[in-house]
Parts: sequence; C-alpha cells; structure tokens
Amino acid sequence: MVKYIVKRVLQAIPVLIALSIVVFLIMRVFSADPAPVVLGEHATREAMDAWRDSNGLNDPIWKQYLDFVAGALHGDLGTSYYTHTAVTTEIMSRFPATLELAIVAIIIASVVGIALGVVSSVNKGKFVDALSTLLALIGVSMPIFWLGILFIILFTGILHILPSGGRIDPIMQPVGGTGLFLIDTLLSGDFEAFGNALVHMIMPACALSMYSMAIITRMTRSSMLDTLNEDYVRTARAKGLPSGKVTTHHALRNAMLPVSTVIGLQLGSLLGGALLTETVFAWPGIGKYVVECILKSDFPVVQGVVLLIGVIFVLINLVVDIIYAFLDPRIKYTQAEG
Amino acid sequence: MDKNAISRKTFLELVAATASAGVLAGCGSTRAGSSSASGSGDGTYADTITFSQGSEPRGLDPAFVDDGESGKVMVQIYENILQYDTDTCDVVEGLCGLPEVSDDGLTYTFKVKDGIKFHDGNTCDAEAIAKNIQRQLEPDRTEDMPYASFNFGSIESGTGVESVEATDSSTLVFKLRAASTPFLANLAMCMSSPIVSPAAFDTAMENPVGTGQYKFVSWTKNSNIVLKRNEDYWNADKAGKTENIIFTFIAEAASRVTALNNGEADIIDGIDEAVVDTVEQGGSKIFTMDGMNINYMAFNTQSEKFKDKAARKAFAKAVNVQELVDSLYNGYSSVANSVMPTWMAAYDKDVVQTAYDKDAAQKELADLGITSVKCITYSNPRPYNGKGGQVLAEAIQGYLKEVGVDVTIDTYDWTTYKTKVETEEYDICFYGWNGDNGDPDNFMNLLSDPSKTMNVARYQNDEYDALIAKGLQTAAGSERDDIYLQCEQIVAEEQPWLLISHSKNILGYSPKVSDFHFHPTAVTFLYDAVKEA
Amino acid sequence: MSMSENTANAAAVKEAVEKKESLWKDVWYSLSHNAAAMVSLAFIALLVVIAVVTALFPSILPYDPYAQDLSQSFATPSAAHIFGCDQQGRDMFSRILVGTQITLAVGLLSVAISLTVGVALGAVAGYKGGAVDTLIMRAMDVMLAVPSILLAITFMAALGKGIDKAVVAIGLVSIPEYARIVRSQILAVKESDYVAAARVIGDSDAKIIIRHILPNVMPSIIVRATLGISSAILDCAALGFLGLGVQPPAAEWGDMLGRGRNYIFSAPHAMFFPGMMITLTVLAFNLLGDGVRDALDPKSRKR
Repeated sequence: MVKYIVKRVLQAIPVLIALSIVVFLIMRVFSADPAPVVLGEHATREAMDAWRDSNGLNDPIWKQYLDFVAGALHGDLGTSYYTHTAVTTEIMSRFPATLELAIVAIIIASVVGIALGVVSSVNKGKFVDALSTLLALIGVSMPIFWLGILFIILFTGILHILPSGGRIDPIMQPVGGTGLFLIDTLLSGDFEAFGNALVHMIMPACALSMYSMAIITRMTRSSMLDTLNEDYVRTARAKGLPSGKVTTHHALRNAMLPVSTVIGLQLGSLLGGALLTETVFAWPGIGKYVVECILKSDFPVVQGVVLLIGVIFVLINLVVDIIYAFLDPRIKYTQAEG
Repeated sequence: MDKNAISRKTFLELVAATASAGVLAGCGSTRAGSSSASGSGDGTYADTITFSQGSEPRGLDPAFVDDGESGKVMVQIYENILQYDTDTCDVVEGLCGLPEVSDDGLTYTFKVKDGIKFHDGNTCDAEAIAKNIQRQLEPDRTEDMPYASFNFGSIESGTGVESVEATDSSTLVFKLRAASTPFLANLAMCMSSPIVSPAAFDTAMENPVGTGQYKFVSWTKNSNIVLKRNEDYWNADKAGKTENIIFTFIAEAASRVTALNNGEADIIDGIDEAVVDTVEQGGSKIFTMDGMNINYMAFNTQSEKFKDKAARKAFAKAVNVQELVDSLYNGYSSVANSVMPTWMAAYDKDVVQTAYDKDAAQKELADLGITSVKCITYSNPRPYNGKGGQVLAEAIQGYLKEVGVDVTIDTYDWTTYKTKVETEEYDICFYGWNGDNGDPDNFMNLLSDPSKTMNVARYQNDEYDALIAKGLQTAAGSERDDIYLQCEQIVAEEQPWLLISHSKNILGYSPKVSDFHFHPTAVTFLYDAVKEA
Repeated sequence: MSMSENTANAAAVKEAVEKKESLWKDVWYSLSHNAAAMVSLAFIALLVVIAVVTALFPSILPYDPYAQDLSQSFATPSAAHIFGCDQQGRDMFSRILVGTQITLAVGLLSVAISLTVGVALGAVAGYKGGAVDTLIMRAMDVMLAVPSILLAITFMAALGKGIDKAVVAIGLVSIPEYARIVRSQILAVKESDYVAAARVIGDSDAKIIIRHILPNVMPSIIVRATLGISSAILDCAALGFLGLGVQPPAAEWGDMLGRGRNYIFSAPHAMFFPGMMITLTVLAFNLLGDGVRDALDPKSRKR
C-alpha cells in the first residue's frame, strides 16, 4: 500500500511541474505588459523600464521561469501587481470562503443526489424516475450563472427572503479561527451569526451544487440498477427479505463505491463552477478573485490561483484513488494505473 | 498487502483525526464588529451604516493608489493639510490653517493645529506631515507612487515642490520650483496628499492609520472593510455620528441595487441610469449631483485616417450626440458642449461643437475614402460613464453603420486599456476624466500632456501648449478664465475629441439615511451621516 | 468519466465488432423509439435550419439584428418585438435567431478540434504505449488538473476576444477527455485477433489504427462528442457572460445574457430569453447524447 501511495505521489510531481510551465508561459509570454498596470497612468517610459528591470521582466524567459519556481518552492508566489501584497496572502485570505462553499455544495449534491438516485432506481420507469431524470438533465443543462440570476430575482427581488450576495453581515463576521464561518460562529456560540452565515450560503451553495447533484443522481441510479440486478440481491429478494431492507443493506452499500469516487472528483470540478457562482453571488472567494485578476492582467495572482487549483485537483485525485484502493477489495493497487 | 501496510482502520482514523484538528483550530474567534454596543447618543440612530461600491480599493495608503474606490474609503480615515469645503472644491483649513504665501509665490508657510493625534496615539505635528510629503519627493519617490509627480511635480519638468520642512513642531514650510495656481487645491486631493501616521508607512496599504473621524478595523478581501468611530477625534464639530461604517464591494450594479432594496446596504454608488426606476420602486431614494467630469471619444490625431481635422469633423457629424446621451443616460447626463462642465468657472456657452448631419457625414466620409475605423474602448463603468465604454462604442458603431462606415471594437478591462491606449494604433478610442481638484488646468492640460495615456488623442499644438503653460502660472481671475476659454475654442474648432456628456453623480440610499456629504471629486464623506434605527 | 461508463462503452465496442453491419440499424431503431431523443433531434435540426437560413438569407429576419434604434432601448416584448429589445434598441428575437450561427459553430468546431487532436493523441498513446504513451497522457493530466473553464478564460485573456479564439480555447481544453477515451478503447481492442491478423499481414501502424481500430471506437466517440457539444456551448456562453467572448456587434447568447444581467429587474427579458435558449439547446444535445448512448448500450437495449 505504501508503495502504491508513493508511486501515485511521484506520478503527480511531473504533472505539477508541467502545469507550472504552462501557466507561466500563458501569463508571461502571451499577455500584455504589466508595467503600466503597476505604475499607474502617470508613469513615465523610463520608470516602466526601470521597473521591468528590477522585477526581472527583462531577463531571458527561462531565467524568469526558474526564479518563479524557486520562489514558489519557498511559498513565495510573487506580489500582486495591483495591490502590492504577497500572492499567498491574497489567496489564503480568500480560500476559506471557496472551500466552505464547495464543501456545503458537495454535501447538498451528495445527499440530494443519492436520495434521488436511489428513489428513481427503485421506481424505475415510474413517474418519480422520469421526474428525477428530468431534474438531473436540467441540472447539467442550465448555465450556472443563469440559474444564479434566476435565484436572485426570485428569492431576493420578489420574495425578499434571502440576501443577494456576500458571506455574512460584515458586522457579525468572525475574526480569526478557521475562516469557515459556519464552523467559527458555531464554536464561538454566536448563533445569530451562524444563522446569518447560513442564509447567505443557501443560494450560492444550491446553485453550485446543481451540476454535481445531477451527475451524482445519474451515477447512483445506474449503479443501483446494476447492483439490483446482481445475483446476490436477487437471492436476497428470493429469500423473502423485505425489499426496503434489500435496497438499503445490500444494494446501496455496494452501489456506493463508484458513487463515492464520483463525489470525490466532483469536489474538484466544483472549483470550476465556483468561478461563475462566486461572480454572480459576490461570494468573496478565489473564484471571483481570479476572474477579476484575469480581467485586470494581475498575472502573479492568476499564476498562483491556477497553480493552487491544479495542486488541489491533483491531490483530490490522489486521495480518491487511494481511498478507492482501500475500499474496493477487487483493485490490486500494485498494478493500478492513474 | 506488505508488512508495513497501513490497515484500513488506522487509515480511516488518521483521516478523522486530521479533519477534527482543523475544526478545533477554529476556537476562540470573535466578531469583526460588536452589534450589541449602544448606538450614538440618544439611541434613536442605528449603530452601523453600510456603503456599497463596485470594487475593492487597490490599497489604503494614499501615496500608492490612484483609484476612486480607494479614495472613497480613505477620506473617512485620513485628513489633509487643507480640505475641500463640504460640497465645492473651495479650499479650506484642514490639519493646518490657510498658509502665508511669499510674494514670488514660491514659499508657503503653514501652521499645524495643536493637539491632533493619529489613531495610533502618535502626535500629528509638522514633522509627521513633512515626512508624508518627503517620501513622495525625489529621490525618495518610488515608481509605484502614481500621483506623486502629478501632485508634487518633478525635477525634470521644473515644477512642483522643491522641498518641505518642519522648522519647528508646528510650522511647515514648502518651497516650490515654480509658481503654481492649483498647488493648494492639490494639497486637498484624496490621492497622494492625505496624511498618514509615519509609524504606519510600511503597513498603511493594508492597515491605514490617519487622524480622521474613523479608525480602520478590518478588511476582508473581496468583501468588506469595517471602520469604527474615532472617539478621540480632535474637531468636535465634525466628529463621526455613527459608530460603525462598513464598505462592501459588490461588482454588479444590479446586485448593488438588490442589496440596497433588500436592506443589505444603506448607500450605493455606481448606479446605471437604467436602474434608477428599480431603486425607486424598491422604496429607496436617489441622490444626484452635477459631476465634475467629461465623457469623450478621442480621434487619434496621428493616425492616417484622422490626422486632418476635416475627417474628424465628418465623423463627428455622423453621431447624434443628443439622442445618444438622452437614451443611454436616461437624463442623468447632459450633452457636453464644452470640455469643462457647465458649472465650472471657465465655461462659455458660445463654444459651438460640430452639429449632427447624417447626409453630410455620409458624403464627406465617402469622399475621404473612409470605410472602416479601428476603435478601442474600456469595459468598466467609469464615474463619467456609468454604462461603461463598450456600450458607448457600440452606439457609435451603430451610427457609423448608417453612414456606411464599419467600426471594429476591441474592449479591454480599464487597467489593461490604459496600456493599450499607449501601444495600439487605433483610429478612435473612448476616454474621460473626473476632476481631481476643481481647477480648469486639471481638465484642459490633458490635450497638451506628452504622455499618451493622458493625451489619448495624441494631439500636439504649440499654441495650445503655450496657453496651458501660461494658465498654470496665472493667478485665478478673469485673465486666467479667458486663457481656458481660448483652449475650449481650439478644442471645438480642431476636434481632437468628440465631446459626449457630463454625467451626474448618482447615489442610491435608504430613506432612513440622511446627512452624508457627496463631494464633486466623487467621494462621499460619511462622518455626519446617520440612519434611523 | 466514470468507470462503469467505460465498461459499458467497452462492452458496446466488443459487440460492435461482432455485428458491425446491423449495429447502426439497431441504433437508429432504438433511437427512433426514444421520444425525448427524437424531440431533441428535431429541435437541433430546427436550430441548424435557422442558422443556415439566416446566414444565407439575412433578409428573412424580422429586423436587422445589428441595427440600433436608441428610441427602442430595452423595449419590453410586444407584437412588434416578440422578445423585446436590448439596450441599443436592437430586436432580441432577430439577435437570438442569428445567435444560433455562433452557438452551433462554436459547439461543432470546438468539438471538431478536440475530437481530431484528442483522437489522434489518444490513438498514438494507446497504440504505441511506452514512453510516448506516458508523455502524452501526462500532458493530458496537466490539462485535466485545471477546471476547463478556468483554462479557457486564461487562454481568452491572453489571446484576446473573438469567436475564432473562443473556438480554439474551448476546443483545446477538452482534448484530454477524447484522448483518454480513445486510449482506453484502443488498449481494449489492440490485442484482439483481427488487429493481430492485420499486423501479421504487414499493415503499417497508421493503417491499422485508421482501418481497424478507429472504426471500432467510433460509437463511444460519437456519444462523447454529442455530449461534448453541449459542454462546449456552455463554456462558450460562460466566456460570453464574463465579457470574454465575441466582438461586438456579433450576437452570441452568453454575451447577450451577460449584457442583460445588470438590468435583471428593469429589463428581465434581456437576460431571460438568451438564458432560455442556451438551456434548451444544451438540454437537447444532452438528451440526444443520452439517447445515442442508450441505443449503443446493449444492456440498456435489452432492458
């Protein structure tokens, strides 16, 4: 097992190196000159040239890349052109918001998705099945930003029951702690703030979860159908066990294996959806931030965020593979491939 | 499984332990602000006012920023040597009284008021103020101080501040390189000139320390900044009335309006004219004030197509500016007949701009052989153009289509755009200006500026440049006004710009809020503002 | 990409090998009895007709989709303008109709790019194996390590706006999916008897891949491509929504939606209709893709 883990970790390293090169090239070679962005509209040509010199932008490209990597290995991803603050600081101050949103969204997606999947597999071909299949299809077909705007029109504009954006009423905002407001407010016993954070979470988390929910529903349904057709389930039924018990005890447990993999992978892809969700709901996370920075040509930040998301993606895949190897007795991990 | 294998059970326990360690680290967090504290005075007012703006400040050290979003927050925290009056650009006392000026106009002596302290407890004396200016003078000036040369001049151009010194703890002496009429107004600007506690020079971008009515509490990136009233403020007449001021950042205009109507924000700015009705239908109110700005389209006067004024005039005839402004800005902008807005001193109603004449435009453009035009523009809303440059450019594109000219539009984010106006070979581009200090030079010198990012028409005219240089040194009065009138006439005649509009500044606010002071420099002073509980 | 999907596809391939001739007849038979898929197919056909007709005979449109009339700014839907007007007073209905050209073009062309490059890379990787395989698939892993929309936005920000660039950006980011499918399929059929036979005869590698292997992986590629069109359309809309899509005055649904988003209360029609068209189109391609997959999946056909 240890061998397998080491092998998977080693496989991830070249991926990360290549990713850093790609990101670096896109941002440095193809993009606009950052000097005027940094120095503002009153800067002279000489000042800009001096700035490029002192920031190494006049160096050969390979040297710039090595400097970038050397910095990154020491946790230094450079400084934001726009705010003059360390990129790591900028990212870490926003990352908990995205993490919290993604976790809540994946919980919603898993609970609702599995429930819908089980219900429709047990009632295959009936009305409920058709309905949940349709829901799942709409979930993958609706642009997340359109869904988000429709939510805002309905729940904020017409019904006035949910806030339009943000994470929490700023005055109640917890300081310090994990940065995950739902946990911070609970731990400090501030239930008013917890409730406030929760209502802010509802719309963005639901919008973000929609796509994953649809995927999990479909996966659960098809996986359940497969197991319900397996011999041992039929045997259990034939032995006269009540069908509800068969579903939960025998079929569901076995059907969950592929579903759990999908859930793990969806957590990664939620980060992509977060880009658009956060933009629509003014959610102060890295998704919204990176969109703004791309539009502002703040390259160091974009590099940093893309790298971070890449690392998270690779790590999630790694963890999912390892957990899968543990849980599925059929997989001989010594031969497993990535 | 080999011998050193981790058992499945151990593995799951490990995962659980890691997860709970993360949770426990959360203990001991507190709130950013305290809502339990009593409101101001008799308790009939709310303890918090929330101001929502479109984007986050670039930073909060006035020496290092150049964006209005920073300015709006900084004016609550910092004060200047001199200030603008509440709602005009007249200069009044600030941290210092009005100065004594030497006869040659080169030496300014200020008296610093007694007993003013920074939020960190340090005394705001002449020495502290001098340090603020000195760090922005050559050779200490760094490249990332965007407004330093604008406010305090440079050795190369022979303008601005040569030295500033504290001759004793309450006396501040400025020596200028050349006389400058806008100098005092520059000292009151919300960029570069506000006074920061010298102890905070290294950290003020994130942790500002000033002398103003509000102290900085926290800044949650991408989300909000929380300020708390400075209980030791030196000037009882202008002390903060509301305990907490919060700035929130909501990028979408529609979301800001929703936040206002939903009670999540008390005051919002950056309102698109088309949503004014939505604000009012939602039970909120609209505040408007004539802006100190100009929204214009520039011809690249060095391009092959528009190097002659005949071509520029022909193009201008194709655009129905009146209809454009009426329909895009819904009555919240007026057609610009001059560079400077109507209410500023040097405006003259006799200046006449090129009139709309579609048929003449079609014929003249065809005769000149102009069939396609390359245009660049910006995407973001600006104080002088709430719609953003793309909508404006597309409207112009629509007019030119009618006279047989294809306009191709490239749109960039504002920060990127500023580099493009320097590097791209465009035929026309969109720009604008929001006045910094109420001085006519601040508007009219744009067309004589050597920098391509300021003078996007790349206009060069010796006669015009001479007028600008003369205006800078002429004392305020009718002689000076006349100089700028001549400039206005040159702009109308030569048509380096197609003037579009002067926009009103629009705020949306809750009917419960009153007494905020909106200033023509597009910042809002909130110390007087109160909100009914 | 899920495991059971791959297993199912592999099973489909095996069967395809056995009864090549009757397969497409069977598929069509199964598909034609799937109401949702047939309705979707009809809807897509309608979109294609609209795109082609409006491109060839623009005069058939009720209004010039690019002509502004500022007096009609944000006019609400009426008999004259059934979807209302946008900020510049342009007829939304005409713009939506013309928008099908861009949406379908981006969907098809970007899938064509990812399909061609992805299939080529996957085929070479799967067939050659060894170092070539490792190199190609690690490169694919790199691209998969970042959410495709983030990668596409980064490309667009670097390249600048334009529909041609959007096609390339969206096409590039989905290459790895096709490469992975094709590679796994090829690994499954590479050792089969008929490939071995071809090798014995002395066919070249390229010939073996093109003649013998690719036809057998076609069914799963077709399913993937149909679903791929829908995700390409969504990505394109997202780029447009963020203002990184087309050059004005081009009409693209995501771009139109993004423009309408600041006026959701004062002019909701400006964002509603484009959003509805994106959803319906994506839904149609998804339903059709599902239908084709079910039709190809022997398990599902038996049930």
